[in-house]
Amino acid sequence: MVTEKNHFRAPIQDTIRRKSPFEQLIEHMSKVRECIDILGKGLIRYYTGNYKGFSDITKKVSKLEHEADIIKGNLRNHLPTHLFMPVDKGKFLWALREQDAILDHAENLAHMLDMRHTKIPKSVQNIFIEHIKTVMKTVSAMEDAVVNIRDLVETSFIKKEREQTKEFIYKVHSFEYEADKKKYDMTREIYKIEKNLKPMDVYHLLKIADWVDDIADHAENVADWLRAMIAK
Amino acid sequence: MDFNLLLIIGGASAIAFYMAWSIGANDVANSMATAVGAKAITFKQAVIIAGFLSFVGAVFVGPHVAETIKGKIININVISPETLLLGFISSLLAAAIWVTISTWKEMPISTTHSIIGALMGFGIISCGVSSVNWGQVGFVAASWVLSPIAGCILAFLIFKIIVKLIFSKDDPVKSAKIVGPIIIGFTAFIITSSLLLKTSLSKRFDISDIEGVIIAIIVSIIVGALGIYLLRNIKAKKVEDYLTVEGIFRKLQIITSCYVAFSHGANDVANAIGPVAGIIPLASNGIMSVKADIPTALLALGGIGIAIGCITWGHKVMKTVGERITILTHTRGFSVEFAAATTVLTASKLGLPISTSHTVVGAVIGVGLARGLEAVDLSVIKKIVVSWLLTLPIAAITSITIYLILRTIII
Repeated sequence: MVTEKNHFRAPIQDTIRRKSPFEQLIEHMSKVRECIDILGKGLIRYYTGNYKGFSDITKKVSKLEHEADIIKGNLRNHLPTHLFMPVDKGKFLWALREQDAILDHAENLAHMLDMRHTKIPKSVQNIFIEHIKTVMKTVSAMEDAVVNIRDLVETSFIKKEREQTKEFIYKVHSFEYEADKKKYDMTREIYKIEKNLKPMDVYHLLKIADWVDDIADHAENVADWLRAMIAK
Repeated sequence: MDFNLLLIIGGASAIAFYMAWSIGANDVANSMATAVGAKAITFKQAVIIAGFLSFVGAVFVGPHVAETIKGKIININVISPETLLLGFISSLLAAAIWVTISTWKEMPISTTHSIIGALMGFGIISCGVSSVNWGQVGFVAASWVLSPIAGCILAFLIFKIIVKLIFSKDDPVKSAKIVGPIIIGFTAFIITSSLLLKTSLSKRFDISDIEGVIIAIIVSIIVGALGIYLLRNIKAKKVEDYLTVEGIFRKLQIITSCYVAFSHGANDVANAIGPVAGIIPLASNGIMSVKADIPTALLALGGIGIAIGCITWGHKVMKTVGERITILTHTRGFSVEFAAATTVLTASKLGLPISTSHTVVGAVIGVGLARGLEAVDLSVIKKIVVSWLLTLPIAAITSITIYLILRTIII
């Protein structure tokens, strides 16, 4: 990158990074949020057998994943060793990585579902819908935790704000736990009706349960890295 | 005074004016850029504040450092007046050239270091290594390392105070309305006492040191109380209203940017007019006296040069730098400015020529170490150290070359 010369001496302008890394993390977060919103609503329609427009959703998810990738690349490639941050850079990058993993899984899930329209049997439809709703809640709780970084940075990580972030993190954990339980319920229900289904359908239903639950797992990982980041 | 001497003084003053202009355009402007970048003041206000207060600082507190540059770096008693005259002119010219080149190349060098390096070079070539006051030079060099560190520590402490006494409280806005004005009152104390202790102002009005301190205390209490009074109507809009806290510091930052401009003028005017202050008595009656007061007219010339520098080129510097460092919020900018200005003003009173921009960088790093900034690029430290190591020899060699050329032409 060639920087234009202005012809004056100002060492102060080389001291501060032009873009805030935390703002970029939050920007990346907003892509995750948008993506999960679109995908979640699409999934609920998909579960009830309405496949219309799901291809568009897949395209949108891919687009968001790509945009987020650019933010991630920008952020990760511009954190050299001589840059001093108020938090551990390694932990910060792990949080970013896990946040990005949510998008990777979402994209994968969308494409797989779009390739083969698997009919969700009536008896498990409700629990499938409840599951995706819980996963969405996990991601939204994670977003609250990530966005609270703004206050943490502004106040230079005072106790009050750290406690608040921790509360958001507990919420992520409890939603994730709920999502896990729902996943086992789903699996159990699928096994109950396996004899009435084609083997490929069984495989796909089990896979959907796994893939959707992966999103909540990674949201929890983000929260855990955040927790490690703000630990004193 | 014959025509030749008039020419010499006129020429030297012109170069000094150029140096002052360069200092105003660059150093003052980039020290004030934090306030402009944080939108605490507009470009126009910044230019006016910087111009005016640099001038005030230069005229009233400037002589301390000018004395150092004029008579303490090289041993003026062992060098003949004619040689000194040539030496001061070549040093000034060498510093002006190096400052211009480095500014064009955007190297983080300091005008202070250039002029000291140039003077040393001339001292060594004219009368040997012993003609340089190495003790004094060592002292000055130590202050170059110490001033960014002092800025760093002070900024760290001020920012920690802001965090502990304001952000950690249940009602940050309420605390900010009290703590902010108290720090500003303290600022007023430092400025007033620097103006009244051992300056031409205190001599003229016959103010003793104790009286000066008392006046400074009274002024600081008035300023602090006025600050609390003016901020009384600000209310928090919600529980964690950090935005309003920043808003309060935005107002307080106007005062700290004045503080920066004032301190800057006090320290850096000497780089421009110090050598000329040495030339004037030499040219008029052939003797160099350390005692001779620095003419106020000369200090004013330096002050005006700085002010014009701010007004002409400084606008662009402030705008560009300000846009690049918008990440520096008001509480951070306040800490940086307070720390840097206090360090620079203290050094000025001690007669130590230091670099303001390096002190500002130290202060920014201090806030960063206090976990106040999202990302501080520490590679700037390396750049600054390299600039120290480069500036001294380059300025010295340039000064030596100019001196030798002038000597062959004239003698």
